[in-house]
Amino acid sequence: MLWIAIRMLTGDAQKFYGLLFGIAFSTLLITQQMTIFVNLVQRGASGVFNAPEAEVWVMDPVSRTTDVSYAMPATALDKVRSVPGVEWAVPHLRAVANVRTAEGDLEGVAVIGVDDATLIGLPRRMAQGDKSVLFAPDAVAIDDTGAQRFFPAGASPIGARLELNDQRAVIRGIADAIPSFTSTVVLYTRYSNALNFVPGTRNRLSFVLVGVSEGQTPEQVADRIEAETGLKAKTRDEFAQAGIDFIIENTGIPTNFGITVFLGFVVGVAIVGLTFSLFIRDNIKQFGALKAIGVTNGKIVRMVAAQAGLVGMIGYALGVVGTVLFIYGFSANPFFKGFYIPWQVPLISLVAVVIILAITGLIAIRSVLRTEPAAVFR
Amino acid sequence: MTIPASPPCEAEAAICARGIIRDFEAGQTTIRVLHGIDAEIRSGEMTYVVGESGSGKTTLISIMCGILWPTAGEVKVFGTDIYKLSDTELVNFRLNNIGFIFQQYNLIPSIDAAANAAVPLIAKGMPVEEAREKAKVLLDKLNIGNQADKLPRQLSGGQQQRVAIARALVHEPRLVVCDEPTAALDARSGRRVMDLLREVAVAPDRACIIVTHDNRIFDLADRIIVLEDGRITHDGKEMPDGH
Amino acid sequence: MALLPRNLSFSRQLLPVIAVIGMVVAAWYIVGSLPDRTTIAPAEQPPKPVGELANAPRVAGAGIVEPASEVIDIGSALSGLVTDVRVKPGDKVAAGEVLFLVDARAARANLAQATAAIREARAAIVEAETAQRTARQQLALYRSLTDPAAVSRSEVIRAEGEEAAATTRLGLARARLAAAEAAAAASRTEIERLTVRAPIAGEILAVNIHPGEFVATQGGSSQPFIQMGNTDPLHVRIDIDENEAVRVKLGAPAVVSPRGAAELHVTATFVRAEPQVVPKRSLTNSAAERVDVRVLQLIYALPKTDRFRVGQQVDAFIPAKSAPAGGGN
Repeated sequence: MLWIAIRMLTGDAQKFYGLLFGIAFSTLLITQQMTIFVNLVQRGASGVFNAPEAEVWVMDPVSRTTDVSYAMPATALDKVRSVPGVEWAVPHLRAVANVRTAEGDLEGVAVIGVDDATLIGLPRRMAQGDKSVLFAPDAVAIDDTGAQRFFPAGASPIGARLELNDQRAVIRGIADAIPSFTSTVVLYTRYSNALNFVPGTRNRLSFVLVGVSEGQTPEQVADRIEAETGLKAKTRDEFAQAGIDFIIENTGIPTNFGITVFLGFVVGVAIVGLTFSLFIRDNIKQFGALKAIGVTNGKIVRMVAAQAGLVGMIGYALGVVGTVLFIYGFSANPFFKGFYIPWQVPLISLVAVVIILAITGLIAIRSVLRTEPAAVFR
Repeated sequence: MTIPASPPCEAEAAICARGIIRDFEAGQTTIRVLHGIDAEIRSGEMTYVVGESGSGKTTLISIMCGILWPTAGEVKVFGTDIYKLSDTELVNFRLNNIGFIFQQYNLIPSIDAAANAAVPLIAKGMPVEEAREKAKVLLDKLNIGNQADKLPRQLSGGQQQRVAIARALVHEPRLVVCDEPTAALDARSGRRVMDLLREVAVAPDRACIIVTHDNRIFDLADRIIVLEDGRITHDGKEMPDGH
Repeated sequence: MALLPRNLSFSRQLLPVIAVIGMVVAAWYIVGSLPDRTTIAPAEQPPKPVGELANAPRVAGAGIVEPASEVIDIGSALSGLVTDVRVKPGDKVAAGEVLFLVDARAARANLAQATAAIREARAAIVEAETAQRTARQQLALYRSLTDPAAVSRSEVIRAEGEEAAATTRLGLARARLAAAEAAAAASRTEIERLTVRAPIAGEILAVNIHPGEFVATQGGSSQPFIQMGNTDPLHVRIDIDENEAVRVKLGAPAVVSPRGAAELHVTATFVRAEPQVVPKRSLTNSAAERVDVRVLQLIYALPKTDRFRVGQQVDAFIPAKSAPAGGGN
């Protein structure tokens, strides 16, 4: 009977493609918007993800995210190093500075000071140059999105001079970094250089990055650091989540994207529901005949479920493929740099599609189930 | 209302209906459509159920072939008291024992003639290709074997009706119910259809019920049951006068 | 469509196949483009406690390498031009060895002058002695004459006056000699003061002067002229946050790593703890750091190795007394 059900469905090309469009459009809208939403709020954690060595971040108790931090005295580093379970700890400075470009433009930049000796705190990869270029005097590495903003296309930023708070800085490398939420240009330099670049305040140490000894979990060590030093210690995951939560709490992004996702759902229900109901109504006599001939309600439900399943599968696939093409197509755009589709998102939209089809299928099938087989004689 | 005790059915009766009452709710009032019908349908005969619109013939036939519950009474089809079956058993009973030819054929527009004819077999679970092969044999017998791969909309009305007939017979039911087979046809075509039905549908172990009010074909009946206002007013080989 | 089998249905067969292929490709892309959020091990070793300290209570501190004698900034007693620098950085010197000389020409001229005055005074003494002797002989002659008339009384008075004058002149000449000798001694001392010598045996760490440069004794000059110190052994001065200071196990050896060579672990022996807790200075990085943190300074002696140099920053781990009971605060 499913053989018949599928042919009934595809025989009506207009409604079949209408249903496909409805499901595909909903899937695309939900998947794509949720993908952008997830990636956008994850920008709040880019600072954490850009320091891949750190397993625990230690900060002043009032610090909240990588960008909202209060500096600590320099001895905090030694306090952290004194805690058992800390394999290593290095200083990490994050501050903002004004930079004067060669053209004379003034631009706010984030200066990130990484450990002098080990360069812990740099992004995983360099887009251009080697990490060791930072050992040169006055050397900074610019992040790749910043390089595109500062320098016209084609012009290599390597060797360009910047004026950072009256200090000379020379760009010697380009870091392959995840852009921050605000897309601020980021300059990476060594901690001691960063102290020179950033106007002096009493305390300068923004974070202490910690590696955990073998056999210890980051959670244990973070708890111990908090207990023994009175500082705040977050594991990498916790701190990334804190950055994401900060964006969610302080921007309207969740509401906006939530509305769009909801609209996608509603549009899906509307298009699919109407089309499906029309399709069932068109075929109500055939269904009635089938019931009279001897097809149980259970089989009818399975037929409609098969029709919904086919529409759902194809429409969902088209929607997901559309999202993938969208993300893939825009991957060169700096705004979309590092965007990816979390595997949970297609699953969520799959659930949404299933719900849409379940709702509309139930509405549509009610009329079939109510139809008296005797009606075929009238 | 007392219903006179009905005599038991003949043993060989295909359908034995006893004391069929059917009420319909219409707002506050209840309309009684059938007033205690006793009827028998015999195998090997072409039985006409004749009556004006509103006479209750459609209701009767629906009840007799197990698609409408009677308010009271019992129906035995080939010895099975069908309204004592569960819903699913009743549906499967129809599938195995009854073939339907609907007035508007109700073919499925998106599958070809052979598949339409094979629907009861497919519903029984037979693989589609095997069912289509069987249906094609029957379509050949109905002289539309060369149209087997066409969709219903590519067929003429007569051809569609033959497909519908094939569908009613493909699973070799013991009871065939045919609703107004000639209503949309001119006299000649109507007779041809009835001849065809007589040829293919009537068999010694098969009962055939034709619901009609087309007096042009009354002469082809083996037996005519006339219904008026929910009561059987005539049961015999010939039509009574005045019709 | 001619290439396709006649019964092939786009919507029933092709489309689902396309959908499945699309899903597989999409899944492959999604899985393949998931970001790498794993942590990685540092490429270079950061300073870390090793051995027993890795799992034992410990206190960490940053320190700076200094000579056992601390750094001695050699000064000059007198201002003047540098005429000669006798040492270069890295030289080992004994106590009292000449380091540099300051222009001593004026002092030498004074000495020559004083020497001349000595000679003059000596001549005057000789002359006065001669005159005194002559006067005394004359007076004795007169006194020996018994005949009062042989010498007039006035002659005698004159002879007595001459003798007294010669005696006075002799005294004066002796005084001039003493004065001249004193002046000569002063000049010699000054010449000595213009020669700067090593106060202790040790190593020259820095030489910031050259012949011809002017060394001033006043107005806190920016750089010491010469820095030296006893570099055998080297000491390391480790700052411990005052909050952590109570935990330090005084007297236990420390594990020290130079900056940038964290894989090198050197065990340093305890020397002493500075009695005074001081505001943190000589910090990890900037000289302009101003902090309200106070630190306990611990002095450790480094074993003999050529890995450390004076002024180098180190990271140190020192055993602590025991795990702080119940979380420290």
